[in-house]
Amino acid sequence: MSRIIYRSIPVLVLLVVTLVWMTLGVQSQSRTNNQARINNWMSVHSTKNGEWPTYNGDLAGTRYSPLDQINGENFNKLEVAWRFKTDNLGTRPEYKLEGTPLMVNGMLYATGGTRRSVFALRADTGELVWVHAEFEGQRAVNSPRQLSGRGLSYWTDGKEERILYVTTGYRLIALDAKTGTRIPSFGKDGVVDLKVGVVYGTGQQIDLETGDVGLHSTPIVVKDVVIVGMAMKEGMTVKTHNNTKGQVRAFDVRTGKLLWAFHTIPRPGEFGGETWLDNSWAVNGNTGVWTQITVDEELGLVYLPVETPTSDFYGGHRPGNNLFAESLVCVDLKTGKRKWHYQVVHHPLWDYDLSSAPILADINVNGKAIKAVAMPSKQAWVYVFDRVTGEPVWPIEERPVPKGDVPGEWYSPTQPFPTNPPAYARQAVTEDDLIDFTPELRAQALKIVSQYKNGPIFNPPVVSRIGGPLAALTIGTLNGGTNWPGGGYDPETHIIYAPASNASVAPIGLVEPPPGFSDIRYVMGIAGQPFRVREGPGFGSAADFPQPPRRRAASEETAAAGGAPASPAGGGGGGTLVQGLPLVKPPYGTLTAINLDKGDIVWQVPHGDTPDVVRNHPALKGMNIPKTGQNGAVGLVVTKTLVIMGDPQVTGMPGRPRGAMLRAYDKATGKEVGAVYLPAQQSGSPMTYMLKGRQYIVVAVSGGAYSGEYIAFALPPEDVPANNERR
Amino acid sequence: MKLRIKIKIAVAAIISLASIGALHSPPRAQESTQPSRSVWDGVYTEKQAERGKTLYSQGCAACHGAEMTGGEEAPPLAGPAFLANWDGLTVGDLSERIRVSMPPNNPKSLNRQHIADILSHMLNVNGFPIGKTELDPKTELLKQIRIEATRPKG
Repeated sequence: MSRIIYRSIPVLVLLVVTLVWMTLGVQSQSRTNNQARINNWMSVHSTKNGEWPTYNGDLAGTRYSPLDQINGENFNKLEVAWRFKTDNLGTRPEYKLEGTPLMVNGMLYATGGTRRSVFALRADTGELVWVHAEFEGQRAVNSPRQLSGRGLSYWTDGKEERILYVTTGYRLIALDAKTGTRIPSFGKDGVVDLKVGVVYGTGQQIDLETGDVGLHSTPIVVKDVVIVGMAMKEGMTVKTHNNTKGQVRAFDVRTGKLLWAFHTIPRPGEFGGETWLDNSWAVNGNTGVWTQITVDEELGLVYLPVETPTSDFYGGHRPGNNLFAESLVCVDLKTGKRKWHYQVVHHPLWDYDLSSAPILADINVNGKAIKAVAMPSKQAWVYVFDRVTGEPVWPIEERPVPKGDVPGEWYSPTQPFPTNPPAYARQAVTEDDLIDFTPELRAQALKIVSQYKNGPIFNPPVVSRIGGPLAALTIGTLNGGTNWPGGGYDPETHIIYAPASNASVAPIGLVEPPPGFSDIRYVMGIAGQPFRVREGPGFGSAADFPQPPRRRAASEETAAAGGAPASPAGGGGGGTLVQGLPLVKPPYGTLTAINLDKGDIVWQVPHGDTPDVVRNHPALKGMNIPKTGQNGAVGLVVTKTLVIMGDPQVTGMPGRPRGAMLRAYDKATGKEVGAVYLPAQQSGSPMTYMLKGRQYIVVAVSGGAYSGEYIAFALPPEDVPANNERR
Repeated sequence: MKLRIKIKIAVAAIISLASIGALHSPPRAQESTQPSRSVWDGVYTEKQAERGKTLYSQGCAACHGAEMTGGEEAPPLAGPAFLANWDGLTVGDLSERIRVSMPPNNPKSLNRQHIADILSHMLNVNGFPIGKTELDPKTELLKQIRIEATRPKG
């Protein structure tokens, strides 16, 4: 017996070695497969395959999907496939639903409600599968960015699927996409407390409960990295210039470990520090990145659109150009190190935050292929750069601009002026822009304008004086132009589509704040009117408010200088309406197509029905006024043949109930080829996907009397073409 | 009394009763048809609007403006932009919107009497006429008052 065993040892050893070698080989093979799966998951889940795996459709920010089942011929046949009301998410219905859902693997994921709940629906029927909510108490209540926000993000490694999102209380959560439960191995029990590491001043940690930081936009998931920006309270009347300091951070998508942080306000020794004179970097903040970030996965480059520094309209406490405020910054995906930057407004004073995704576009200019990045803006310029080198594709000229006279202010002598493409919406209120339906209305408009200091773009704010000037007259500053929904891009035709408000008249006046209110010398206000703390949209809407805060009781109404009623929907300073009508003539809101190969405007159309105030105005009775479009921030989706966008306002047009329309434009010509009824205005940007052979469009509506709802449209089954692929 | 006179009295009584019966609307069905009143019918009192003005300045003016012109965070509550959103709906729809969501940081702080008073102030600022009876806070009654941007003819 022992002899048999003895002889078989070499065979056994050989067997064991073979087995071990094979196992190792198989393991390494599967690791390679895993790697390939991880690197390729975005190509598996992509708009090319009829899904919508990230907020803007793809990481380039195009909002483009090549689906073509819904077209100009059948758009008017669309019916509501399903609808999802967000009333029971959070503590009460919400009226400001701004999300764009995602669709992956037949499931639709979105946020909603006053607690920014996350939910998953079956994407063909809208059936609710799971909901998740974080109960964050006081820190959510204190958040500067409330309600459901713009959405969430998806990640997979081919096996596991996760949803990642930032709560109102500024925590990054990772959920199992199948069940909605937290991933215990991510951060601390599924949570990364994003407030940790957020600082003010020279590096002091902000308070986790009361510190000013939040976010509306979605995190960006690319490969194994999740990138998160930050937003602070709107800076019109703030208590201190020494506010939270902006930064952008990247975390490991599996573990939540911090990978890198890019400081948008340079610290000592960091590039750009000399643009904060008198050491003002140490006592200023904001300069966050509150909107969507884009990524070139192949090149490993990340594009950060940076916002305004603390105190939007007075920069006396931050002399210098203030890098990287209102700059496009390109950083390395792996390290977060700056590759290049371009500041589009020096020493910002107009709240020209970079408001939307910088769109990655591969274009061909004068025969030269350029990997470009194109950024629509509040200023209604599309800034176009080579996205590798940062070189402007068309020259941007530094031109002298008028200097203001606000005590203590520092002014940049020049500002950048792109030479191409041309501006696609109003940048100033000129006499030519004024309302001209009748000579009487125009005369009133001229009288109103005479109360303000008017000027071309970069008209500096003024100290408000009773009897004039009440303020600097600007347009497109606070609200744009193009605001947070951004634009879209067609990678086949190289055309960028930019929605724009064209009637956001904004007087920017400065007053000294009441004693003790702020350490900033001047804040936004109008002389003669009671001082009013200006909050941002959605302020105070948190799910949990343990006790009512003491509201500043408005003093007796003093005679407001030049007070005229109602400002147009969309906010911004009042007092500029002419018998309730916008100060400027139509179009009030537009959609523009710009060819990026040539830098030309291809077409521009007014977007939205003529507002009721114009249609029903007694002074305009009997006049035939062409469609004016509507002022308001709305976003779009681009498909194989269409650009689709809903109205920002409700109207009571004859022939339909009071409501809004979701419109389809022929993307080549701008002709409106279809429109379907929405019960309320579009409040979140639309997206589209294909599932089981049917194309869907989903859009968020809310506002006025109508609480938040996601509505899904699709062709009636009998109108779906027979030869469609079944998914 | 003579029979002829009795008959005449009886006929007169029947006709009167029938006329009264015809003038008197039948009780409103559960399923409400078109609300019978509009904001042009004098649906609130001056005193109520004054109460509402005080409440408004304490709790609403900070965001919606002392003159209801709106602000960065809140829309106007008077004038064409406001009426565009509410024309064709009822005062009850508006009161529910307020009750459910306003002020945003503490929606339960206003009771329904407060809301009716604030609504009266809003109606006043919007130029709708004052009436003899107060606006009743009950939602179902407020839902019977139409908001109409333009005064109906006749």
